[in-house]
Amino acid sequence: MTGTAPARAGRAVRVVRAFLLAAGLAVTGYGVYGLLGDPYITDPLDVLTWAVGGLVIHDGLWVPLVCLLGVLLVRRAGAGAESGGPGPGGPVLRGWLVVAVAVTAVGLPAVLRAGDDHGNPSVLPLPYLRNWLLTLAATAGVALLIALVGRWRRRDRAVGPRDRAVRRPAPREDRS
Amino acid sequence: METEPADSGTPATRRRYDPPLPAPPAFLRRGPFREDAFTSPPREPRTVVVVGRWLGAALLVCFLTGLTSHLLQDPPGWLAPHLPARPVNGYRVTQGLHVISGLAAIPLVGVKLWAVYPRLFEWPPARSVLHALERLGIAVLVAAVLLELFTGLLNTLQWYPWPFPFRQTHFWLGWLATGGLLVHLAVKAPLIASVWWRRAAPALAQRRAFLTATTAAVGAVTLVTAGQTVPWLRALDLLAPRRPDLGPQGLPVNRTAAQAGTVTVPADWRLRVDGPRPYRLTLAELGELPQYSAELPIACVEGWSASARWTGVRISDLVRRAGAPPGSAVRVTSLEAEGPYRVMEMPAPYVDDPLSLLALRVDGEVLAADHGFPARVITPNRPGVLQTKWVARIEVIV
Repeated sequence: MTGTAPARAGRAVRVVRAFLLAAGLAVTGYGVYGLLGDPYITDPLDVLTWAVGGLVIHDGLWVPLVCLLGVLLVRRAGAGAESGGPGPGGPVLRGWLVVAVAVTAVGLPAVLRAGDDHGNPSVLPLPYLRNWLLTLAATAGVALLIALVGRWRRRDRAVGPRDRAVRRPAPREDRS
Repeated sequence: METEPADSGTPATRRRYDPPLPAPPAFLRRGPFREDAFTSPPREPRTVVVVGRWLGAALLVCFLTGLTSHLLQDPPGWLAPHLPARPVNGYRVTQGLHVISGLAAIPLVGVKLWAVYPRLFEWPPARSVLHALERLGIAVLVAAVLLELFTGLLNTLQWYPWPFPFRQTHFWLGWLATGGLLVHLAVKAPLIASVWWRRAAPALAQRRAFLTATTAAVGAVTLVTAGQTVPWLRALDLLAPRRPDLGPQGLPVNRTAAQAGTVTVPADWRLRVDGPRPYRLTLAELGELPQYSAELPIACVEGWSASARWTGVRISDLVRRAGAPPGSAVRVTSLEAEGPYRVMEMPAPYVDDPLSLLALRVDGEVLAADHGFPARVITPNRPGVLQTKWVARIEVIV
């Protein structure tokens, strides 16, 4: 072994990167080869169309929509705050929005497809619209609780010193 | 995000291998391309790397469990004789994990892409040839991952709005997504390493709140869907496409008898067993052979699983009776007229396993038509589509 410790570390990083790059290109190549050669995939252009379409819809429509929703709701929630910025409930509301969007992304296909089981009642057997709304309501309830606890703790801290002075037991030496 | 450490090599050599591209005129830099277009604090490297680690782990689990499922369903000839029939719940766990981690990846990929969204509008769009190639690679990665998660999610609902076959496309896209991920890791390695540890990045209250929200989102999605395979989460199964206790005889069905055209079984049905000493048995004769019971799961490729107590004849007994030695594989044919799983091959380890049954009853009742009346295969550690229903024929093939 020659070279200083940083030089050796630099070499190790380069080896790892080269290995990752080579492996990644090989795996990608195998995927392309398989996709183009699979006897069941008669038209790989269909796959390309759907892949590009997904990219365009996600980046061009879905993300801007989510951002817009977030800005509108969080700004409205913060409108009452004296600071002018997002109100004290802002981070919690934003957090709940992340949860709500995630639950919707995963549950929406079932909501849209509920009842369409091709004669197999054990597929999609649940009331998905109700369950989706229930999930949103339950997570909103938890978020509200967190926001209320946060506000209560902040208020307690703000008015705390005076209040606590009254409530705190008297110093030992004063007790006779 | 502009703090990428410089690569090794002198500027001259870099230029030779990575010719710079001209920047577009500045007046085109409008809308989201403006420098101050995005202001959210959590859109910074440490947050992206933390979410990326979770997403990378989820995708890796998806890829490995998916590969496992593929090999169990469609093993190459050299592997088939070595597939293990144990652990009994092996496939239930790997395929359950496949769908759980895939569903968890949906909020993770959403959050990850939201956090790096400003990079889509970086200026100039391509600094050099390598930079352009890297961005093309990211497009391949993101497109493959999005389509992979989308097709996987809809497949669990048996919803196929696209013109290509699901299974093959999902399989090959998995390789594309994994390859793209490895290339992405290679390119971003210095940036990832620079903020890998918590102490390497300044503390940020918004980051903490954002990561907590991401964890909550993954948790919520998992809690309301994982009950389709995890027994103690069944009460919370609100949005999964299946509930393990809903279906005929308290079990879900992948393909009904009506869909397979096997609602009525021919009156002269006999189980035909072909081997060195072929024979046929009526349902009554099958019922007179030694009966065994086993608690075995049906574990579907779509991610749900349900256990039941199956009773019937050991497949190894049927095969021995036909004069075939231990270590024989069999081919099982269903009564259904067509379907991709009408004919199934069962490697020797499953045939010889004492838990592998030709089941006549489930939970004490005669099989319902939807569960494969008059007889169905049930084996440990195998995908549900290979637990052939409405069995007509078993032939020894090795």
